[in-house]
Amino acid sequence: MHFGGIYEDEIVGKAYDKRLLGRFVRYLRPYRRLVVLSLLLLPLIAAAKLAQPWLLKLAIDNHIVSGRMEGLPFLSLSYFALIIGDGLLTYLEIYLLQYLGQRVMFDLRVDLFSHIHRLSASFFDRTPTGGLVTRVTSDVEVLGEMFTAGIISIVGDVLVLAGIVGIMLWMNLKLSLVTFTVLPLLLYIVFTFRTRMRTSFREVRARLSNLNSFLAESIGGMAVVQLFNRQAAEQREFTRLNAAYRDANLPVITWDAALFAAVEALSSVAVGLIVWYGGGEIIRGTLTFGALVAFIQYIEKFFAPIRDLSAKYSIMQGAMAALERIFGLLDVEKDSDLPGFRSLAGIESPLMGGGRGEGEPSPIQTIEFRDVWFAYNGDDYVLKAFNLTIRRGEKLALVGETGGGKTTVTRLLSRFYEVSKGSILIDGRDIREIPLDELRGRIGVVLQEPFLFTGSIRYNISLGDEAAGQRVERAAEMVGADRFIRNLPNGFDEEVRERGSNLSVGERQLISFARAVAFDPEILVLDEATSSVDTASERLIQEGLTGLLAGRTSLVVAHRLSTVRDADRIVVIHKGEKAEEGSHEELMARQGLYYRLYQLQFRD
Amino acid sequence: MEGLQFPGRDSHSPGWYGLLIIGAALAHGVVRIFSRTTLLHAGRRIEYRIREDLYAKLLSLDLPFFAAGRTGDLISRFSNDLTNVRMLLGFGFLNVVNTIIVYVAAVIFMVRINPFLTLCAVLPYPLMILLVKQVSRRIFYHSKRAQEELAALTSHAEESIAASVTVRAYRREEPRIQAFRELAGRYLYSSMKMANLRGIVIPFMASMGGLGTLIVLFVGGGRVISGVMTLGDFVAFTGYLAMLIWPTVVLGWILNLLQRGAVSMGRLNAVLDASPVVAEDPTPAPVERIAGRIEFRGLSFGYNGEPLLKDISLCIRPGMKLGIVGPVGSGKTTLVRLITRLYPVADGMIFIDGTDINRLPLRALRDAIGFVPQESFLFSRTLGENIAYGREGASTGEVEQAARLARLEGDVAGFSKGYGTLVGERGVTLSGGQKQRSAIARALLKDPAVLILDDPLSAVDARTEEEILGGLASYYGNRTVLIVSHRLSALRGCDLIVVLEEGRIVEQGTHAELLALGGRYAAIHREQNLREEIERF
Repeated sequence: MHFGGIYEDEIVGKAYDKRLLGRFVRYLRPYRRLVVLSLLLLPLIAAAKLAQPWLLKLAIDNHIVSGRMEGLPFLSLSYFALIIGDGLLTYLEIYLLQYLGQRVMFDLRVDLFSHIHRLSASFFDRTPTGGLVTRVTSDVEVLGEMFTAGIISIVGDVLVLAGIVGIMLWMNLKLSLVTFTVLPLLLYIVFTFRTRMRTSFREVRARLSNLNSFLAESIGGMAVVQLFNRQAAEQREFTRLNAAYRDANLPVITWDAALFAAVEALSSVAVGLIVWYGGGEIIRGTLTFGALVAFIQYIEKFFAPIRDLSAKYSIMQGAMAALERIFGLLDVEKDSDLPGFRSLAGIESPLMGGGRGEGEPSPIQTIEFRDVWFAYNGDDYVLKAFNLTIRRGEKLALVGETGGGKTTVTRLLSRFYEVSKGSILIDGRDIREIPLDELRGRIGVVLQEPFLFTGSIRYNISLGDEAAGQRVERAAEMVGADRFIRNLPNGFDEEVRERGSNLSVGERQLISFARAVAFDPEILVLDEATSSVDTASERLIQEGLTGLLAGRTSLVVAHRLSTVRDADRIVVIHKGEKAEEGSHEELMARQGLYYRLYQLQFRD
Repeated sequence: MEGLQFPGRDSHSPGWYGLLIIGAALAHGVVRIFSRTTLLHAGRRIEYRIREDLYAKLLSLDLPFFAAGRTGDLISRFSNDLTNVRMLLGFGFLNVVNTIIVYVAAVIFMVRINPFLTLCAVLPYPLMILLVKQVSRRIFYHSKRAQEELAALTSHAEESIAASVTVRAYRREEPRIQAFRELAGRYLYSSMKMANLRGIVIPFMASMGGLGTLIVLFVGGGRVISGVMTLGDFVAFTGYLAMLIWPTVVLGWILNLLQRGAVSMGRLNAVLDASPVVAEDPTPAPVERIAGRIEFRGLSFGYNGEPLLKDISLCIRPGMKLGIVGPVGSGKTTLVRLITRLYPVADGMIFIDGTDINRLPLRALRDAIGFVPQESFLFSRTLGENIAYGREGASTGEVEQAARLARLEGDVAGFSKGYGTLVGERGVTLSGGQKQRSAIARALLKDPAVLILDDPLSAVDARTEEEILGGLASYYGNRTVLIVSHRLSALRGCDLIVVLEEGRIVEQGTHAELLALGGRYAAIHREQNLREEIERF
């Protein structure tokens, strides 16, 4: 009797349900002993429930009506034992089911969360964070309901129903048949309502999803909403979505109430039929009093599970919808499933030097972008026929106008996105053939927008990595972040709030930069890493960098030409294409695009 | 039943009774549809209202609240906690009413048949109430813990997913998953505590019902045998008692619901009762038009006790262009941010047009300020809608005009859907520079008296910066403009430049004055120039 989450969910097709359930059952496999145990308990519980009215009938017919006191204490004692037994078994069953449910939820949750962490970056461009969080939390939570109220207890209900029908038929065939005349009507009603509720459920689900996405975004952008005084407009939109969600729910409630009432009424009609027909039988002497009482009790017990059938049905449908979304997400291809990787899965790339434990891998000699095309969506190409070779130990700088595709180059290199056409080769091998973990382990990226986690500054630099943890202080010094960190009340142990909101953007960039330094990657990719840092800090970084970059292959994206001047080679990207390439002096001598960019910045 | 036991004593046939029961059942059904629909609809309507209130509350809260409250936690309150409260209001209320009616009715009928037997039958119930009280305290406690742990789980998931690129770049997938596993394990543990309590309550309630039947069977049966009670009375009595079993079991479930609902209502109230420190003055100063004179008078401020800005005094005349430079963490962003009252500032520290900003109507204050933050937040709507966010009811022409000023029109022309391009969550499909320029366009469209640019061009190349600043010069007109930047070139043409260091103004003056002063500004300038000189060769 669980009514939780009743009206919330969408309904999916029947054939589909079976497939989903089949897939779900696989999650039960590790706990099959417990499943068997809980299934074995069901007939026992059903028997304990069904025997109670029967004892009552015996007591009335054999003792009370006939006035024999002896034996009644024994019957009462048996009845008492049955109640206690019923209670204990039911407790055990509920506990078992909850335990199973919680375990499976735990497994599914961890699976989902792990899976999300292996999806490609482009997936996150089209999928709002709020939706993914819902999958991991609420959707999985709905499955818990299914366990406490759903699948297994339905088996128990079916057993009880079958038992009742059997006993009633055996006790009195005619009376049973008269009583069961309400059944066809009952079935008809249940199935009619089922179809009606199906459509409504779907709408409810969609509306809720809209509402939550809007809310999540609103919380994130609250400063903007308030700065622009748009509270009224946002509230209007929210009200629209909220009302749509409410209105989608109302018909479901009406249908459910009607179903519930119909079942209730039919159960009373059945009792009426028993009294009307059974009464006549008693008068004719073909039915005992005790049997009539037992019949009425059985009918009560018969309708009880049907009464919350609609609740259970709703939970099951909700669970199906949740399963559909959960498995839908689990079916999204992981990074490692992307084409190119799959064919070589398990094959160690010889150039990448094999597994981790077998000493240092041989250093990367060349990185080559060969005729690379890339578009975030459709045919809006951000990179067009892009060619570039970076050799070992070289410091290469990417410059160019904003939106020209510089950031995209770094994203493609660390394979956050897959090239649309062409290929990126490391030592002649397509990066799609290199295990992602290894690729990203050797290429350290300092992102344009630094992301800070809740936790200490130390954690934010080391991200919990042991090796990086030992280099936290040194890395901070190297990028000049230690100055502000040591001024904080708790220094490196100062807590960072959600998204680093208690630090300035420049401070966040310094921490993000220190992070990359602490990880000491073979190849360093800096993406506009110091755009919000003052000149003094930048100089500190420059000094640190000189040491850091010595002999290290690096790719630096920057707007300030001063920061890229001592690069071995500078590549100018213009509208997604490589426009110029060469050393600072060469490019200045050419008096082309770089020259003009340079003039612009250092005029006065 | 009497009629059945002694046929002929009663004038009515069993059929008549049967029909009576059926008739009553149908009437009951109609009442049920009505009551259930009414109450559950009411539950939904109340949920709707609470959600509206919650959202309105969020809109009114200031940034310190959001900085402390985690996004995942708030979302969890809107979904899980609100669901619990709705269940309490709808189903909980329905079943409480239902249970009371059934109990009262059944007990009245039972007392009419036999008061003594009634007393015996309800004997187990005090025991039940005792247990209920015991258990409900513990359910409340564990329910609260479970809710908190679910919220922690949600926050962790939200943060990890939002940080997906960073997590990947540093291959922190495994540790993040490990941490998630731990949180999920903790939630599992407290959920099982709850499961245990729930497991006790429901069978216990069912057993209590059975115990009542047992007592009636034994005591009542004996009375029938000894002839004190008629068989009809006995059967009727057991019938009434049977009516109590279901509501009693439901009572156990409601108990659970009540506790969860109470915990959740507490969590919702924590949001509803939160009051913004930044509040509208009850008697705000009348404002006609803000001219844009900004004054800091001995401004000191810190986010959490530690003063970040110390004794800042500065007067910015209307139409003045002010440049702010200084090292990382010197308080530049905080200084300009405080003018918007996104964070609370004490009385007597910041004045606009001679009025303390805490006295100004919030709306008028913010309407007068165009603020371009360092990090541009865009909504997952179309580009056009994001720019038009600057002013309600802005026309397409105005949006295009603002985009042109922010040098965005070239990029827009390159999008196949133009201004109808969806920018994705937080503008992910745009480049950093495009995002910044969209945010600038949005602020320009607002046509503010005060324009604040907080290092808005960090992700923009020199040429675009040059173009934007050049274009904006004509837009500035007699607006007051505050520009925070690291690049001195961006501050070209400022009437006054202040240098901040560790929360204090250490230098101020025009470009020429500061150069002549030979202090920190001059040092920065020298350094930036020196690089330029070196690189010229």
